[in-house]
Amino acid sequence: MSENLLEVKNLKKYFSTPHGMLHAVDNVTFNIEKGKTIGIVGESGCGKSTLGKTLMRLHEPTSGEVLYNGVDIASMPLKKFKKEYRSHIQMIFQDPYASLDPRMDVLQLIEEPIKVNDKKLSKKEVEDKAKEMMELVGLAKRLETAYPHELDGGRRQRIGIARALSLNPSFIVCDEPVSALDVSIQAQILNLLMDLQEQRGLTYMFITHDMSVVKHISDDIAVMYLGQMIEKCPADEIFRDTIHPYSQALLSAIPIPDVHAKHERMVLKGELTSPINPKPCCRFAKRCPYATDQCRQEEPKLREMRPNHLVACHYAEKFVK
Amino acid sequence: MGERILDIKDLVIHYETDEEVVEAVNKINLSLEKGEILGLVGETGAGKTTTALGIMRLLPPKVGHVIQGNIFFEGKDLMECSEKDMRSIRGKKISMIFQDPMTALNPVKTVGDQIAEVVELHDNCSKAEALKRAQEMLAMVGIVPERYKEYPHQFSGGMKQRIVIAIALACEPDLLIADEPTTALDVTIQAQILDMMRKLQKEKGTSMILITHDLGVVAEMCDHCAVMYAGEIVEYGTTEQVFDNPKHPYTKALYQSIPSLDKEVERLHVIPGMVCDPSNLPSGCSFCERCTEKRAACVEHDPWIVNVEAGHYAKCFQYTPEWEADKDE
Repeated sequence: MSENLLEVKNLKKYFSTPHGMLHAVDNVTFNIEKGKTIGIVGESGCGKSTLGKTLMRLHEPTSGEVLYNGVDIASMPLKKFKKEYRSHIQMIFQDPYASLDPRMDVLQLIEEPIKVNDKKLSKKEVEDKAKEMMELVGLAKRLETAYPHELDGGRRQRIGIARALSLNPSFIVCDEPVSALDVSIQAQILNLLMDLQEQRGLTYMFITHDMSVVKHISDDIAVMYLGQMIEKCPADEIFRDTIHPYSQALLSAIPIPDVHAKHERMVLKGELTSPINPKPCCRFAKRCPYATDQCRQEEPKLREMRPNHLVACHYAEKFVK
Repeated sequence: MGERILDIKDLVIHYETDEEVVEAVNKINLSLEKGEILGLVGETGAGKTTTALGIMRLLPPKVGHVIQGNIFFEGKDLMECSEKDMRSIRGKKISMIFQDPMTALNPVKTVGDQIAEVVELHDNCSKAEALKRAQEMLAMVGIVPERYKEYPHQFSGGMKQRIVIAIALACEPDLLIADEPTTALDVTIQAQILDMMRKLQKEKGTSMILITHDLGVVAEMCDHCAVMYAGEIVEYGTTEQVFDNPKHPYTKALYQSIPSLDKEVERLHVIPGMVCDPSNLPSGCSFCERCTEKRAACVEHDPWIVNVEAGHYAKCFQYTPEWEADKDE
């Protein structure tokens, strides 16, 4: 067993709203091994992005620990974190159309994080490093002076990747990096991310709502629902035997590009319930077809149903195939 | 053979600006039978939305021009209709669901008013009747009718999309054009919306054009499928034909580039090169630069549409007798 790069323990992030505390990330615990990819899936509003941003201290965690190589980076002063650890943990953002400054050209965009993080570098060194990054992510030299609006989504996302990689991070949070892209371009970016992982031994946290993408790229997959992690298992197991009823419903809702695929769809009634001041109960109980009184009164804990396969459901035994 | 509701003949649409002419749609032919669901697939910039806007006669004024072609809807050429006639057709006979529910709704009008607006305009009824109808529509799309007095920002993304659908369906159109109706939504909500659309098609016999880039959605919903590339339809057939037996190299490549749920693939297949610039289309086949099966003829001449099997067409030289002859030389 290889070592854990990141250990997240009981991480919580609450937001204060006029109606009460919004439990965006609630008691999430998981580990990521070095060089592996964990995929985080769930519907919009389930706290996937908040989890990613909290790990990066873009949001201040409410409580809990995040151990990076054994050091708790969640509780150290923000200044110290920024100075010593920000460059180790980087993020690739969702929308390459919105996350780049339209008034900077490609080279400037990639130089920016390098300059900010090492003020001692000379202009020449910064430029060389940025050019090296452009080559690494497959951006042609002639694009150095191009502005984001001249480029297509795939190239823009390559800029985002180059910016994240320019600080030699070991851990990258990828927040829906391909969901704004066409399938043929999506394939290019996924291949690039996987190549970079191999070359540089990167560890990824891959946030997405696209199940086929997450399965392709991840080693482990965690399913989130209303701020909680309700199932975590090896990537190939999630499609063969998911246990949690929500994961089953989520999987059955994916349209499969095969005309002969007959799959029974479990249509979920209703919308996500509000994550503001949730009562102690299973948060999926309102939409769950199997919910009982126990589900409505008691919060289920994550239990290991199979080696490395954790499920938070009172009746998990019933759903194990 | 059923009755044809829509017949597009040799449609050409250009966007003209001072600097360039963008050839967005190039001579497409398409027909749709009553009660049929047609999937229009392709990447960004393939001309899917432009085709839809062309049918609705909603191309951006001054810039977008229909250069040639006819669009027959229930036997009547929409290109010949006056703007006044078009107004009575839009929303009543042909409706469109726009791509982004977040921006398609008016933020300062209640959703009930927005649905009632269509009904009032087309059905010549009183405001009260129209509002009653609006509430029925809300119930149909699964939103509590009492919420008709609320504003768009009070609804979630999935609900907003359902409101957009309610507006489109309020007058029970004969043809519904849905432009990426579920792209912005979660899979669970997408499943609800698709179920609802399928129900409508069964109950009311509504014909639909479903524009999407999600091949999974097409496989589940559509009877026929047309693949667009650089403003042309490169392949057309029943969904079974196109999915089980794709003929055009672009369609084949598109399939290989999506990650599969049940197969293990080390690397995803990538279509080499870029989509050609629509303001500077090549004289030959527009896909030939990226095609792995191309020959000299593809660069020189634009291929024509070949009937590969009953009801299945592909715009590729491979399926012409000349191709085989070429190989022997």
